[in-house]
Amino acid sequence: MDILDYIWLGIQAVFMGPEAFSFLGVSVSVTIMMVLAGFLFGIVVGATPGLAGPFAMAISLPILISIFGYTPDALLPVMGFLIGIMKGATIGGAVPAILFNTPGTPDAFMTTLDGYPMAQKGQAKKALRIAHFSSASGDTFSDIVLFVCAPFLAIIVEAYLDLPEKTGLLILSLSFIAAVIGGSAGKGLISIGLGLLAVYVGTGEDFYPRMSMGAEGLSRGFPITTAVLGVLIVGAVFKELEEIWRSTGSAKPVHAPAETGDQKLHWADIKNLFPTIFRSAAIGTSIGALPGVGSTLAATLGYTVGRARHQKSKSDDAPDFGDGAPEGVAATEAANSAVSGANLIPVLSLGIPGNAAAVFLILAAESIGGFNPGPAVFRFSPDVVNPELVIAFGIFTCMTIANVINWTIGGVFMRSMGFMINIPKTLLLPAVLLLTLTAIYVQETRLEAIWFALGFGVLGYIMRVLTISPLPFVIAFILGRSLEQTARQAYSATGNDPFFLFNSPIALIFILMSVAVIIFSGRKSKGAAA
Amino acid sequence: MKKLFVAAAAAVSIAVSAVSVQAQDWTPPGPIKLMIAFAAGGGADTQARLIAAELENRLGWEFIPEQVTGKGGVNLLLEMKDEANDGTVIGMVVMESLGYNLYTADVGLSPEDFTPITTTASAQMGIIAGAGTGWGSFDEMIQAGKAGEDIRFGVMSQRLGELAYLLGKAQGVDFNIISVQGGRAVLNGVTAGDMDVGFMAGIQGPGVAAGDLTILASAMSKPLNQDPNAPLLKDLGVDFDGDAIFMFAGPDGMPDEARNAIAAAISEVTSDPSTEVGALIERAFGGSMNLQGADLDEVVMRNFNDSPVLIEAASQ
Repeated sequence: MDILDYIWLGIQAVFMGPEAFSFLGVSVSVTIMMVLAGFLFGIVVGATPGLAGPFAMAISLPILISIFGYTPDALLPVMGFLIGIMKGATIGGAVPAILFNTPGTPDAFMTTLDGYPMAQKGQAKKALRIAHFSSASGDTFSDIVLFVCAPFLAIIVEAYLDLPEKTGLLILSLSFIAAVIGGSAGKGLISIGLGLLAVYVGTGEDFYPRMSMGAEGLSRGFPITTAVLGVLIVGAVFKELEEIWRSTGSAKPVHAPAETGDQKLHWADIKNLFPTIFRSAAIGTSIGALPGVGSTLAATLGYTVGRARHQKSKSDDAPDFGDGAPEGVAATEAANSAVSGANLIPVLSLGIPGNAAAVFLILAAESIGGFNPGPAVFRFSPDVVNPELVIAFGIFTCMTIANVINWTIGGVFMRSMGFMINIPKTLLLPAVLLLTLTAIYVQETRLEAIWFALGFGVLGYIMRVLTISPLPFVIAFILGRSLEQTARQAYSATGNDPFFLFNSPIALIFILMSVAVIIFSGRKSKGAAA
Repeated sequence: MKKLFVAAAAAVSIAVSAVSVQAQDWTPPGPIKLMIAFAAGGGADTQARLIAAELENRLGWEFIPEQVTGKGGVNLLLEMKDEANDGTVIGMVVMESLGYNLYTADVGLSPEDFTPITTTASAQMGIIAGAGTGWGSFDEMIQAGKAGEDIRFGVMSQRLGELAYLLGKAQGVDFNIISVQGGRAVLNGVTAGDMDVGFMAGIQGPGVAAGDLTILASAMSKPLNQDPNAPLLKDLGVDFDGDAIFMFAGPDGMPDEARNAIAAAISEVTSDPSTEVGALIERAFGGSMNLQGADLDEVVMRNFNDSPVLIEAASQ
């Protein structure tokens, strides 16, 4: 079994998996249909202001699991659907941003800056085409980097990092996430701390439940779906409902601006845009590979760098960034789309999620079982098949299929999604809430789960009111258990050495970096405020 | 434990002959909630779900599988104890859950608060080293330990931790015992080199066959199928064994009719290698072990009562 055999097995797992239907004698696998369905669904969701990829992934996951069950066969169809959503939502977000000056997803905000002026000038279709082309390019670039880097990184981690170093790496990731998400290291640490506190209820190695305060409902701890969906989705719905309640009057239906002139994307346009797209794709990919730094920052950076270059190199009659420059749309969309693939590098090689989409992929793997994202996945065992590695290459295959769908029909489908803006939030939000709670109950089948989810929803709401990002909470909740287990194991493995984090140079470096990241980001934000 | 296997063999023959009659005498009054104490997707979970699927096919019973993991099966027992005892709620655990784990959890319960239904199989529990250690036998590991090498020993339950400790004490080596969650974590740890050796409950099969793993000893009361010459724990100075026996149980006071019918039905599908689950059990465990009735009650109770003896021995 060498690497090519594994790649081939991964491709086969996708194409030869359980059959959905056969068309002219050719059998089409469920996984491919699920990638397609997820991708189209993702575009619809992305094009709907108020909904974003994580919403859709959160709601779909329990429903998919109840359809596909907990068998190893379920992994690829479910992951394929989620990957489809992840990719579809990113390009879908550009639609209302360009047509109506309303970003469909948060990372499409920068797209409004040039996309909407282009639409006002009658070039809506062209702007959408540029957005799609840049997005698909950035995405593909990022995926290729993922395919190449994740296995190598995992092998390096396995070869050089022992248990104390792995503990140090987890601590470093958490402190990095606290420092970079949400703009304030202090608030990030609060979010991380709350997440760890919640995950440690009822868990642990002893036979008596920890921190359950004698309550039987708490003795099994909070199910991961209730915490993640509660804080991320229910909390967001509560906050949005509050905003609707505050704002008076309902939104009027809006119409897309009229189109004038040539709407096609010509080879000359592509050649002009190419440097911008490539630069942004590289920025998005590097940002995406860092855990916790999301696509919004990537879009901002891509746009800023693109603007600086544009001002130097543009011809005099070309529009500036902000006045409807095609390069502006390309810079943003290539950058925010390049995040999604690269974000899976820490997920697959270390088991550390970097953004909400990655959180749901890990959640899927954990719920279904049989695939544990982390360095052990990339063990190229020569004699026995490593099923997790086959799944990993199956996931890569799904991503490639999603890219092919994106390049072929993605653009057409995306351009037809303009009408989604007219769905009123007063209908959308209650529906999302109901679906989320149903989805949680489907998976947990006990009523306490609903109470937990609502409780975490209130927590998520309060965090949003206090502008504390809920994402560090969720990532801490997911990493909390492996942090505790790795630390305990490192302690035992070193013969009960309480200073195991400081006795190995690599672990010590990780710990010093964790402290430095917090101090550095604290100083920077003080400086920015002054 | 030898008794146990004799009893098991006897029980199998009785159970199989009686099954068709009993299964028809009793039908569950509703869908059966099947609680599973093992992580989704693992070998034990697959076994439970395949049993349920096969019984749905054969008898038309309906099952609702549900994961209730954590605390070595004690979470499941706590949740199951107040459920309906008419045969509509059963749980799959290991015998250790009703024994050492229930005893240590100190929740005021004993096996008498449950109805043991049937065992399905005994895991091929061995002490397995990674090929990277270079140890070809148990003695070579002990020599390495005595020469001052740190030995990291992975265990997936507290009881196995006690056994590893006793083994080290008997052999004059101080193992660094690393406790992890689930058998796969031991396999991953040993393969990645984070641990040198560990208990594995059958998951070692393909790795041993491929030469990535080495069997050092059997942790069962009998030899391992894959290497019958490997020493047993009792040859190595430990009076306890690491038998991991999968079993089904229900809440206290389940009527005999329901208990026997479920036991017979499960025995029938697990002992038949032509079923998917029977084939799995044949492959992973070398055949089913269906102990039930009063014999099962006795073994489970003895397991529970032995726990303080083990703890006492390990604390000396």
